[in-house]
Amino acid sequence: MPENPRPTSSGPGRILVAVYAIFALSATARALTQILSKFSEAPVAYLLSLLAGVVYILATIGLAGRKPVYRRIAWGAVAFELVGVLVVGTLTVLDTGDFPDDTVWSVYGRGYGFVPLILPFIGLWWLRRTSAGK
Amino acid sequence: MLVALEIVAYVAAAAVAVYGVVTTVRNQPPGRSHRLAVGAFEAVLVVQAVIAVVLLFAGGVTLPERTTFLIYLLVSVCVPPIALQFATAEPTRWGGTVIAVGAVGTGVAVWRLHELWVAGA
Repeated sequence: MPENPRPTSSGPGRILVAVYAIFALSATARALTQILSKFSEAPVAYLLSLLAGVVYILATIGLAGRKPVYRRIAWGAVAFELVGVLVVGTLTVLDTGDFPDDTVWSVYGRGYGFVPLILPFIGLWWLRRTSAGK
Repeated sequence: MLVALEIVAYVAAAAVAVYGVVTTVRNQPPGRSHRLAVGAFEAVLVVQAVIAVVLLFAGGVTLPERTTFLIYLLVSVCVPPIALQFATAEPTRWGGTVIAVGAVGTGVAVWRLHELWVAGA
């Protein structure tokens, strides 16, 4: 008998939801103030900031929710987040010229104590650990 | 912003964070002591926010990124009670660490407030 999946927002998962919520808040707020105050300076970077913020919001909602659809949202958002931080991190390390380093994913999240690099790995591990049959 | 109050805020954030993690390690769900700790921390943040707003709107202080400052100010005041609410909604040992995450995030927000404030001085 395969076991039912456990809620991702229960037990230690609540810590993960809290961390994602903080990142959702800070990344989105930062992107919005950047876009409202100085969008023309670096439109690509600021739109990327906003995209990162939205991904963190989706990940937070996905991890906090208890229905199967939320788990799929969480998988998608956390996987996107991992790709995002690796791609943007690598691009910013190779060539800082085109990227003002004030997005949450720049240089693998250096400005945020590299938490943005570690977080998706923990997120994917937690989604796998709480899934059915584990 | 007053430097003395800012230091009190960092100390309070660190104290709440350490206390939260300690109660997780000791397998204690969040309770009255957590509410008091977050309440004291929140009081410091509210006083800090009120002083900053008064200085900004009536004290002649001008900041290059005033809107950003005000958003961070709002965030700093809102995060601890939300974290407390989320932590106590499922009273397990992990609630303490949820409160700790909120306290650390708030501490970082206070540091950003400091940077934005200094930029205007």
